[in-house]
Amino acid sequence: MNPVFRPRPLLLAMGALLLLAFWLSLALGPVNLPLGDTLRAALRLLGLPLDGEGLQQAELILGQIRLPRSLLGLCVGAVLALSGVAMQGLFRNPLADPGLVGVSGGAALGAAIAIVGGSLLGGLPPAWAPYLLSLCAFGGGLAVTAVVYRFGRRDGQTQVATMLLAGVALTAMSGAGVGLFTYLADDATLRSLTFWNLGSLNGASYPRLWPLLLVALGVALWLPRRADALNALLLGESEARHLGFAVERIKLELVLCTALGVGAAVAAAGLIGFIGLVVPHLMRLLVGPDHRVLLPASLLAGASLLLLADLAARLLLAPAELPIGIVTALLGAPFFLYLLVRGRA
Amino acid sequence: MRLVQVLLLGVGLLCGQAAAAAELPQRWVSAGGALSEWIVAFGAEDRLVAVDSTSQHPQSLRQLPVIGYQRALSAEGILALHPDILIGSEEMGPPPVLEQLRAAGVQVETLSARAELQVLEANLLRLGELLGEPQRARTLLNDYRQGLQRQAERVAAAQREQAPPRVLMLLGQGGGNLLAAGRDSLAVWLIERAGGRSGVEHRGYKAISSEAILALDPQVLIVADRALHGEAAHRALLRHNPVLAQTSAGRSGRLVSLDPTLLVGGLGPRLPEGLAELATAFYPSAHALTAEVDR
Repeated sequence: MNPVFRPRPLLLAMGALLLLAFWLSLALGPVNLPLGDTLRAALRLLGLPLDGEGLQQAELILGQIRLPRSLLGLCVGAVLALSGVAMQGLFRNPLADPGLVGVSGGAALGAAIAIVGGSLLGGLPPAWAPYLLSLCAFGGGLAVTAVVYRFGRRDGQTQVATMLLAGVALTAMSGAGVGLFTYLADDATLRSLTFWNLGSLNGASYPRLWPLLLVALGVALWLPRRADALNALLLGESEARHLGFAVERIKLELVLCTALGVGAAVAAAGLIGFIGLVVPHLMRLLVGPDHRVLLPASLLAGASLLLLADLAARLLLAPAELPIGIVTALLGAPFFLYLLVRGRA
Repeated sequence: MRLVQVLLLGVGLLCGQAAAAAELPQRWVSAGGALSEWIVAFGAEDRLVAVDSTSQHPQSLRQLPVIGYQRALSAEGILALHPDILIGSEEMGPPPVLEQLRAAGVQVETLSARAELQVLEANLLRLGELLGEPQRARTLLNDYRQGLQRQAERVAAAQREQAPPRVLMLLGQGGGNLLAAGRDSLAVWLIERAGGRSGVEHRGYKAISSEAILALDPQVLIVADRALHGEAAHRALLRHNPVLAQTSAGRSGRLVSLDPTLLVGGLGPRLPEGLAELATAFYPSAHALTAEVDR
């Protein structure tokens, strides 16, 4: 596969795209703010001592609604895309997505337990419910991934193929668990569960943002340091070992990064499909398989794509809102089919 | 001199009232089907600027902007409508969105959707206060009470002539999977108020097996579905679900349609009418009798 673009111009272009997407995400929304107001409010949020006369509404919408939402979208998109690269590298399979190690299935099960279980127990204090939901989703994702990883270990080695199959099996089991809770749910909780499964950046607030921001920073700083190891893994595990990489340790790190990153993203925004699968794929077409470029390019592209998808999600049906999972799947699935058809030609 | 004083007093009172009216919320967003209907019943439809996806009645509400499902509201979408007040049930959310709306100066008013008369009374009085029509609230409440009272009398009279029928309410038919209304649902509350008996054991709305339907052997089937009403639809339902045709209701053709929007969001203003329709279906021979009570 020959890269279409040279790395540096492409990374610059992706960076510019992300800046543009972030600005659009701040500047556009159902409330029509004049561009001047948006600019002045943004500058005031950055701490510039401008005159705040008549800017209360703009500042509120920008600072309390759009900014946390855009930051959340940025983190979720970046983490999902990076985890996608890690998984595709680990499994040496371009069809791998972060859900393969069971983290999405586990998170969905955790969310179902929190949503349905909470209402079966007679309802939790409404102020706690969102945090409990996030904690359960995160915990469920980590727990199922840990079990999958454990199944893959044999004689001090991690069998990637076994792990993949264990991931499939445990995802199916989590699905059965979610099904059981769906059966137990009443009408209202059932709809909450359905909406959660489609993902949304709606209702983003700073308290929900900080944990994800920390995890995203960690993943974004850590994974690129493993780019060489991922490149070596492309040759095969024993080759990577002969090249001097601690392969077992790398595998554990990749799984851990994915579990933490996807777990935190899903806990904050629900299940959002296709970003982790399509973005690394697309970037590999553009820049080639070198992970030193692929990782940062995927980070930038994942964040931009999610921000743009969210923009569509909140503008298309305003004043109502479309779950973002619908938008990403609508964009992602046809593109994926296109890749399949093109690959065959 | 005296006249001037009276005039001044009158002007002062008028101004005071005008000021009070100005402080009442003028632009309303309703996130509950039953609440929207009540607002219309108060004669305040022109104050509604948007409704949620469950507000389907009356027909004219469908022309308003829709803010989506009550549990997945969008803060900015609602703010774009410049509302003074958002009204909905305790199901309304997500909580961070409500916080953001409050921070933006929108009054967020939560009225319970529990199907209880005390709850309805409190809700109507609050609505009356917020709409500046406390008297209207009392009138609506009294009419409602009387409607239910008349209904209870009819049922009691009819039950002296005929034993209460076994009733099963079916919702939708997603892929041939019939959902039956069970305990603690508004559907069963309705059935019982209309003088029927529900033998369904589960809580809420759940799928029910063919054998369970046969064991219940309902004498009246209520079909609450958006698409299914009318004779032809009932015949189609029986054809696709042969087990229903085997029940007493299926054999004697006692199938009734019920508007499913009656079952959402607590006690709405159309409930007494719905009850009357059901009672007529449950006690067909008591028709003359109901007419007598009416007089």
